[in-house]
Amino acid sequence: MARTRHVIVGGGTAGMNAISTIRRYDRGASEIILVADERPYSRMVLPYYLKGSISESHVFTAPPTRLRTLDVEPFIGRRAVGVDTQINTLMLDDGTELPYDNLLIATGSSAVRAPVAGADGSGVHSFWTLEQAQGVIRGITPGCSVVLVGAGFIAFTILNSILALNAQLTVVEIAPQILPRMIDATGADVVTRWLQERGVTVRTGVQLNAIEDADGRKRLRFRQGEDVMADQVIMATGIRTNLDWLEGSDITINRGIVVDAHMRSNVPNVYAAGDVAEGRDAVTGEAALHAIEPTAMEHGRIAGANMAGQSQTYRGSLLMNIVEVLGLEIASFGAWDDADAEVMSALRPERPAYRKLLWHDDRITGAMILGPARDIWATNDVGILKGLVQSGVSLRDWKSYLRGNLFDVKRAFIAAGATGRLLPQTVLGRPSVAAESVAVQ
Amino acid sequence: MQEELPGGYAGKILRVDLSQNRTWTEAWTAEMCRTCIGGVGLGIKILWDEVPAEVSWDHEDNRLVLATGPLAGLPAWGTGGLTVVTRGALTNGATNTQANGFFGANLKYSGYDAIVLQGRAPEWVYLYIHDDTVELRDASALLGKDTWETQETLEQMLDLTGHQLSVYTSGLAGENQVRFAAIHGDYGHVASKNGCGAVMGNKRLKAVAIVRGSKALRAADPRGLWMAAQEIAEDLQYDPSTRSLYEYGTLPGVSGLSRLGALPIKNYTTNVVPEGVDMSQWTAQGLREGFDHRGHQCNSCGMHHCHAQVLPSGPHQGAIVDEPEYEGWSGAGWAFGCTDPVATSWLNTQVDRACVDVNEFGWLMGWVVECQEKGYVTKEQLGGLTITWGDAEAANALLQMIIRREGFGDVLAEGVKRASETVGGPAAECAIYAMTGNTPRGHDHRARWEEMLDTCTGSGGTLDSGPPVLPTEMGQPARINPFDPDAVARMVGGTRGRRQFEDSLGTCIFTTRTLLSILCRTLSAATGWDFTKDEALLFGRRTAALMRAFNIRCGITPDLERPSKRYGSVPVDGPAQGQDIGAHWEHLLDVWYDMVGYDRQTGKPLPATLEDLGLSHILADLWDAREATHAGT
Amino acid sequence: MKVLRITPQRCTGCMRCEIACSYEQSGVFQPAKSVIRISPFEAHTSYAPYTCTQCDEAWCMVACPVNAITISPVGAKIILNDLCVGCKLCTIACPYGTMFYDPDTAKATKCNLCGGAPACATACPTQAIEYVEAESADWLGSFAAERAETQLAQQA
Repeated sequence: MARTRHVIVGGGTAGMNAISTIRRYDRGASEIILVADERPYSRMVLPYYLKGSISESHVFTAPPTRLRTLDVEPFIGRRAVGVDTQINTLMLDDGTELPYDNLLIATGSSAVRAPVAGADGSGVHSFWTLEQAQGVIRGITPGCSVVLVGAGFIAFTILNSILALNAQLTVVEIAPQILPRMIDATGADVVTRWLQERGVTVRTGVQLNAIEDADGRKRLRFRQGEDVMADQVIMATGIRTNLDWLEGSDITINRGIVVDAHMRSNVPNVYAAGDVAEGRDAVTGEAALHAIEPTAMEHGRIAGANMAGQSQTYRGSLLMNIVEVLGLEIASFGAWDDADAEVMSALRPERPAYRKLLWHDDRITGAMILGPARDIWATNDVGILKGLVQSGVSLRDWKSYLRGNLFDVKRAFIAAGATGRLLPQTVLGRPSVAAESVAVQ
Repeated sequence: MQEELPGGYAGKILRVDLSQNRTWTEAWTAEMCRTCIGGVGLGIKILWDEVPAEVSWDHEDNRLVLATGPLAGLPAWGTGGLTVVTRGALTNGATNTQANGFFGANLKYSGYDAIVLQGRAPEWVYLYIHDDTVELRDASALLGKDTWETQETLEQMLDLTGHQLSVYTSGLAGENQVRFAAIHGDYGHVASKNGCGAVMGNKRLKAVAIVRGSKALRAADPRGLWMAAQEIAEDLQYDPSTRSLYEYGTLPGVSGLSRLGALPIKNYTTNVVPEGVDMSQWTAQGLREGFDHRGHQCNSCGMHHCHAQVLPSGPHQGAIVDEPEYEGWSGAGWAFGCTDPVATSWLNTQVDRACVDVNEFGWLMGWVVECQEKGYVTKEQLGGLTITWGDAEAANALLQMIIRREGFGDVLAEGVKRASETVGGPAAECAIYAMTGNTPRGHDHRARWEEMLDTCTGSGGTLDSGPPVLPTEMGQPARINPFDPDAVARMVGGTRGRRQFEDSLGTCIFTTRTLLSILCRTLSAATGWDFTKDEALLFGRRTAALMRAFNIRCGITPDLERPSKRYGSVPVDGPAQGQDIGAHWEHLLDVWYDMVGYDRQTGKPLPATLEDLGLSHILADLWDAREATHAGT
Repeated sequence: MKVLRITPQRCTGCMRCEIACSYEQSGVFQPAKSVIRISPFEAHTSYAPYTCTQCDEAWCMVACPVNAITISPVGAKIILNDLCVGCKLCTIACPYGTMFYDPDTAKATKCNLCGGAPACATACPTQAIEYVEAESADWLGSFAAERAETQLAQQA
């Protein structure tokens, strides 16, 4: 009997997790093909590469030896250009046709630049792929001035790195606040002040009109306010899912590929995972496009398990983000901007620290936490807030206490029995194993 | 370049000028570490150098030293130590008083070995310390609050719980400069002697709030330190002399001392347990198991000593209180005739919350009850209050008047010595105190002569030597006849110095009840020194002598070294009936002076003693040249 | 597998485990670096230590984008320092709040069971922490709920 052939498109977090999960179950019984347009690397670590705190080799997640260990046949540097689900065949950009038994689509997202004049000129970078990161590194020299266009999560992940390279930094954002999809306006004020006190210029509510060349430098023109001069411009104005190549296929796409609780698309042997998959949100129960690393990881594992013949149901992903800027920790979980939720918040500007809990009845469905990373007594609380949202534990006895003591969540977490609810939870219904212990036999 | 300090030290002394709202740090030198060690050794050096005769306890230039020591924050047991050194309100002389909890550990993790406060704040402030952040902050939200409320409020204000925050405050008693106000911290740990809390209040310092800092402490030989700590722990657990202390702290004191006639009952009017008192409630097990209790230990401590308990019955049922020490059972109980453990336990915590010394409180209550019973103090004088033997609720009512200085409370707030002198007549003869102003500990010292001698001659507001710990190591007999004046004076003089050494380490006197040689090994592992028992005793005696020199300079002379009339009276009943210390007093002093090498006439350490102790540099301050040649001859 | 069994009724809040843990982690006495932490559960009293349960899911390990967390021979999830880049994903992935981040090294830290001889258990003077063969469990939940009653009653 022929070996089952799994074709994985995309070598990011979702794809690599799917591969190792398949191998964990089948120990090499199947055939796995990986199609990736770049050597697989971890996007999360690019900021550290940019900063110079890790070497380039540290960035790659699937060197050839690893792929051999997992018995994966790689098609690196190739892009998928189409799929025919009638004949179970994937088409690559070089004309190769890859028949599959199971297909996983995990092609991720790409950076998009704001559609302004000059956005594609020299000295204007995106920061999404490894190649783009290399471009930024070449561009920044000590003392040069850098403008970061866009103040979202991605922009913030590289902020430390730019400053570590001793650049002068200006952040501009079209929205009225920074980090608009991660924290609320109060939190954004705290972060803005923190940045300003540390020499970063922040301009919000401004729309970029054009990027012009000016005596070897860049001049940024805005609809409102003064121009800004820069040596380098980094565009972090958003991302979009890489789904164009599926146009015309039978696969149902809403905002992303619509998947069921097994990460299957409408085509039973076609799975999707990561940024491109519109899966269940654990808090709202609705389909959502998260485009975050932890969701990609869980998607990949669930998809991999089901492709390997298991029947693993996904409980859904929890939206979460964490970023540290110049020693200030910023994190949010779940439905942190739910307008229907009951809100408790506490602000301590002098520290600074900010907490926000969002409630439905006696359960926390969303949370936000800001504070200095050095505040070691609060570091546990980041995870504890996640645990409260994830476990959905009832905090009936503690709700009124927390209203006045929002910085004392640990006691409530423990006394409410969250640990007991969480301990049996596993994503795949069994204990996880270390990555390196997965290998073909 | 800063020189390398010995291990164990955080490395900096925090200086605070309340008048100027200024804080700064001073570095130690390695030599200063070795000669002062920390705690009282450091504190008395600062007093001697910076507090001249004319700077009385309530002068703004008085220094309030809150010091810890090289072992604080390290893994030996009981290393949260606070030593308070200041010119105190009761004696107007030196103070050496300890509390534990987490002060020493939290302070050192923030990078400081001691805090030295001077000046007086224009408005009430509290001192906030978290690593390099040191600020005098507005304390108006804390005014009027007792010690526990102050800590709870600061926890709320700073969003910290448990031992993440240490708060030491002098409560309402400190605010109103009650002369026996204490400094209390971490729910039940009190540095209580000599009105140190009044000094804090005089400086308009409501509290010191220390966040458990994030800095590192290093030991010269960390493995050696762990081993030495383990050795002490085993000694405390398994040595028969410390086993009950390990298991029950000072709880066995009540029943044990009652059998020796050393439990003070009803203001020294009797030494016989009143009929009908169930003494089985008062055994160590009775006091521990009679309550729902929880361990409430100090930093790194394995002793089952400090506890919290829940009141099982009575008007305050369900309240969480600090399990009283022996001194609490005595001062908030037996001393004024209260023989109900639940009422005593409750009152003891009220005393802590009010923030006065529980010993002085006991003597004061005993005196008031006796005086009211005998008609020396009237109900009208007490603002309509009647207090009878053992009435804890009435005692608390008086306590609240005292810490607010309301009515007769204002007289009582001066302590039993001054209050009895104010009332005068026969009332003056019923009060228990030492003539220097030192407050006797909560025993009946008429059956514990060593402590009466020690209390009356002590230079730090309390005992200088304390009960002897393993005296054979210091060349003294293992036990003596407690009523043999010669033996008593030799024991007190011959063990002098050990306590000052203990009080400089940043630890607790209950976790240093082991051989000096083991303590020295622990100190050496921490610091990298080759500290010996001889150096420890030399250090301790030097520190004690400097304290005495300071007191001499403050005008505290040997004629004050005697008990008050009641304190030195003869027990009329009980096991020590008829034992008359007064008949031997001069002899006790003669022998003691000879043992310690001080001048019997002037009280000064003799020139030769100063030289032996490495204090020749103060000789000229203490003796004029002509005097010096004749002294001691 | 041997686990850290916590008997909260025995804990007196002396924090010695934190000192020992920090020493084991860093060679110095610095509770800020401890990965076991004592919390109060009843006003200022009733304490208990809280640390990683080495849970089955290992949320930290599976979340790590660079596979810098693995399972040691004694079953502890441990950080491989050379691989950790300090991205903090593990700190939000762990729903127990037992992942730590050390700002001095810019790396994650967590309980590694000291290679099979946990310093906290050795240092605990009251055997509130023991290293024994057992299933991981919610050691503190019911204790904390019971002791918190006093506190919550006071608040109400």
